Amino acid sequence: MKGRDKYSSASGFDADTLFDQAPQRPARSGRSIEGMRRALMRSNTRLLLSAVMLFQFTAMLLVSLQEQPVDMQALILAVALPAATWLVTMLFGKIWPIDRAILILVMLLCSVGIITLSDIARAKITPLTQAIYAAVGIGAMAVGIVFIRSVRHWKKWILPGMALCLAALASPWAFGTVQNGARNWITIIPERLTLQPSEFIKPALILILAASLAGRPRFVKCLPAILFAAVCCGILLIQRDLGAVLLYFMTTLLIYFAATSNWLITLGGLGVGVAGSILAYKALPYVQTRIAIWQNPWSDPTGSGGQIVQALIAIGSGGLFGMGLGLGRPRDIPLYHSDFIFAAIAEEFGLIFSICLLAIYVIIIMRGMVVAMNARTSFHSLTAFGIVTMLGLQTMLIVGGNTKLIPLTGVTLPLISSGGSSLVSTFLSFGILLGISSMNAEDEARDIDRLEMREEVEM
Amino acid sequence: MRELRGKMRLVGALIVCLFVGLGVWYGYTVYSQGSVWASNPYNTRSNGSTAHMGDITDRDGNTLAHTASDGTRQYLTSESARRALSQTIGDQMGMSGTGVENYYSSTLLNISGSLIDKLRSAFSGEERVGSSIQLTIDAELTAYISSIFPEGKDGAVCVINYKTGEVLSWVSKPDYDPSDLLDGSTEGDNIADTAFLNRCLQGLYMPGSTFKIVTLTSALEADPNVLNQKFICSGSWDYEGGTIVCAGGAVHGEVDLMTAFAKSCNITFGKLAYQLGEERLRATAEKFGFNENFKFGDFMIYNSSFPDVNSVGGLVWAGVGQSEVLATPQHMAMIAGAVANDGVMMKPVLVKRIENSLGITTHTLETSVYRQVMDASTADTIARAMYQAVQSGTASRAAISGYTVCGKTGSAETSDDKSVPTNAWFVGYIRDDSKPYAVAVVVEQGGAGSTVATPIGRQALEKAIEVVG
Repeated sequence: MKGRDKYSSASGFDADTLFDQAPQRPARSGRSIEGMRRALMRSNTRLLLSAVMLFQFTAMLLVSLQEQPVDMQALILAVALPAATWLVTMLFGKIWPIDRAILILVMLLCSVGIITLSDIARAKITPLTQAIYAAVGIGAMAVGIVFIRSVRHWKKWILPGMALCLAALASPWAFGTVQNGARNWITIIPERLTLQPSEFIKPALILILAASLAGRPRFVKCLPAILFAAVCCGILLIQRDLGAVLLYFMTTLLIYFAATSNWLITLGGLGVGVAGSILAYKALPYVQTRIAIWQNPWSDPTGSGGQIVQALIAIGSGGLFGMGLGLGRPRDIPLYHSDFIFAAIAEEFGLIFSICLLAIYVIIIMRGMVVAMNARTSFHSLTAFGIVTMLGLQTMLIVGGNTKLIPLTGVTLPLISSGGSSLVSTFLSFGILLGISSMNAEDEARDIDRLEMREEVEM
Repeated sequence: MRELRGKMRLVGALIVCLFVGLGVWYGYTVYSQGSVWASNPYNTRSNGSTAHMGDITDRDGNTLAHTASDGTRQYLTSESARRALSQTIGDQMGMSGTGVENYYSSTLLNISGSLIDKLRSAFSGEERVGSSIQLTIDAELTAYISSIFPEGKDGAVCVINYKTGEVLSWVSKPDYDPSDLLDGSTEGDNIADTAFLNRCLQGLYMPGSTFKIVTLTSALEADPNVLNQKFICSGSWDYEGGTIVCAGGAVHGEVDLMTAFAKSCNITFGKLAYQLGEERLRATAEKFGFNENFKFGDFMIYNSSFPDVNSVGGLVWAGVGQSEVLATPQHMAMIAGAVANDGVMMKPVLVKRIENSLGITTHTLETSVYRQVMDASTADTIARAMYQAVQSGTASRAAISGYTVCGKTGSAETSDDKSVPTNAWFVGYIRDDSKPYAVAVVVEQGGAGSTVATPIGRQALEKAIEVVG
C-alpha cells in the first residue's frame, strides 16, 4: 500500500533506462523469457499501429474522393490522422513507459469519430473542428499523464477539489445555455465555444472518490465523498442531464464497492438508486416522457419518438455491411453527430463494423482493468478502475439507448461523438489511465532490478 | 489490495458480460427487425433521390406505378383507377403503411440489394436502380369493384384465388389519390381521415353471421350427427342473462342445421355455441387463424381475435360472430376459400414476381399451404350448407348462372342501439377448378348482408370470371 510513497524520493530516475534497456542486458533464463515477451508485445503493438494508420488513411482518402473536386480538408486529414497517431504513440511511448495499445486504440476510436463526421457532417460540425478538439485532447492527455505521475499528497486535495467541482457544476446557472433540453452548458464565446462542466467533473469525481476511499476507510470517513457525489447527481438532475446522473451514480457505486468490498452498503446504495429512479419517474414529467418514448417510439414517429425512430430506421437501413461510407443518409437522424452517432455509424458501416467497435471498447476496458489491478497503491488502482468503469458504462448507456435496449439518455459515445468538452475530458481521463500504466511499468521494472541485485549478492 | 483486485475483476467481468449482452441484443434486433425498420414509412431515405424506384405492375403486366426519367413517381392516368388501388399500391409519403410503395420500398429502391450490386453502382457512378415488382392484383377487377361499391359508404372488398392464395383485388373505402401526395404534402384537402387504411388488412370487424361457418365446423367436428338434430326457433331465446333474437324478427320454427345455416338462424347457432362450450368453439376458431399472429410475409395484416367469453351471453353471441369476435375481410375471404379448397387454407400471396434492374427474376410466386383448417368431408358439408344458402337462403342474390356459387351473408350489429344500421357482410366463392375465386365484402353500416353486400360479391365474382386470366 505504501509502496509508491517509499519511492517518492526517487523522482529523478530515468524511465527509459528502466523500461527499455533493462531487458537487453545479458541475463538468466527468467529475464530472457521476460525480454522475449516484451519484444513480442512490442511487435504486436507495431502491427496494431500500422493497421490503425492504414485504416485512417484509406477511410479518409475514400471520403475525400467522394467530392468533386477532391475534398482537400479530408485529404489533409488522410495524411494528418495516421501521422498524428504515429507521432503521439512514438512520442508518449518514448517519454513514458505507457500501455501503447490503449493509446493506439484510443486514437483509432477518435479517428472513427472524425471519419464519420467528415462523411456525414458538412455544415456546422466539421471534421476539422473535431480534429482540433482531438489535438487539444492529446494535449490534455499529456497533462493527465504528468498530473497523475506527479501528484503525491492526494488526500489534501479532496476538499478544495470538491469545492471547485461544485462551483463548476453550478456555473451554468450563472452563465448557462440550454442545449437539447438540458441546462448544463456554459458559454465561453457566444455561438462559438460552449463548455459542458459535467464532462470535466467526471475525471475529478473519480479522483476525489479514489482519494477518499483508498485504503479501506470506515464508512463514516467515506461519507463526505458520497455526499459530494450525491450533490453532483442532484445538481445534474435539476439541469436535466439524466445520462450524467446515471453515469455518476453507477460509477460512484462501483468504485465504492471495489474499494470497500461492502456488499451490504453497495446493495443498499443500489436500492436507493432504484427508489430514486422510481421517485424521479413519478415526480418529473420529462422522465416519464423519456420512458414512454422508449416503450413505444412508433406511437409518435414524427414527434417525440422521432429521434429513436429515425435511429432505428438508420440502423435497419445499414443492415449487415452498411450502406457504405458516404452512401447512407444519417443526416436524417436528429443529433446524428452526437447522441446518435452510433446509429449513423451503423447505417454507414453496418452491423459487423459496429460490433467490432464495441469489441474495441471492450479491449480498452480489459486492458484498463489490467492497469488498475497492477497499480501499486489503492488510490491509483481505484482511479484507473473508475475511469475504465465510467467509459464502459457511458458506452453502454448510449449504445443501448440508440438500439432501444434502454431508454435514451443524452450521453456521448466516448471519443467518437462530436463535441469538444466530452472529447477533451475523455482524453484527459485516458491520460490519467496511461500515466498509471507507466507507473506500473516502472514499478515492475524496478522490482525486476531489485530481484536481480539480490540474486547477484546471493551469488 | 488482493480483495480490491478481486472486486475489480468481478466488476470488469460484469461490464464485459453486459457488453456481450448489448452486442447480442443489437445483432438480434437488426437481424429480426432491421428490414422492418428500414421499410418504415418514416424512412426518408425512400423519398430521396438515392435510387431510381422500380416499377409496380399488376398480374397482367399493366404498369401501376412508374418512375419517370425526371425522378417523379407516376401512377395510373385514370383517377378512379388510382383511387381504387390507392391503399394497395401506397404512395410516396408512405401514408398507407401497408401499401407496396412503402412495405416493399427496400426492394423497389434496391436497398437490400447484394453487396456486388452496391459496389457496381458505387464504381460506375450510375444511379442505383431498384427492382420492379409484379403483383397478383388485377387492376381491371379492382377498378370495377371500386366503381360498384355503394357511393358514400365505407367498407372493403377482397377477392382471392383460393387454390393458390393469390390476392386478386383489395378495395377499401374511403380511398385517396396517391398523386395528391407527390409534392410532399400529406395535407390533401379532401382526403378522409381513414382513407389511408387498407380495410381488407387493417379493418377489424365483427364478422356477424359469416362466422357461422366456423361455428358449424366446430359442431360437425364435435359430432357429425348434429346434422340430424332439430332446433326450434321461436324468434327469440332467453339464455341465462339475456335474449338472442333472429334478424328482422324472423321465426324459423323447427329447423335442421342446414336450413338454419341457409336462413341464418341466430337462435340455432346461439344454442349450438352454448352446446359446444367456449373451449371447443375457441379451438376451432383458432384452427381457422383467430388469435394467431399472422406472418404471411408478403403483406402486413392485423390479427383476428376470438375473445375470452366470460358469460353465457358472450358465448352465445360469439357463436353468431358478435361479442368481440373480430376478423379482417382478407381473413374472412381465406375462410370461405378454405371451405372451397377441401379445408385447406392457402397462405396468401401478393407478389407474383420480382425482377432486378438487370432483368433477372429474383423472386417468383410460391404457393404453399397455410394450414388444413378442417377435414375434406367437413368442408364438403359446409360447402353444401353455403350452396343451400345461395339456392334457397339469405345469399340468393349471389347466384351466377352457369356457375356453382356458395356463400354466407352476415349483418353484424356494431352497437346496442338499433338505430345504427348493421355492417353488411358477404363471403362466398365459385365452386370451379378453373375459376377458383373467393370473395369477402363488408359495407359499414350498409344494412342487411343479403341485400347490400351479396350483390357486390356476385358482381365481383362475375367480373373475376370475366377478366382474371
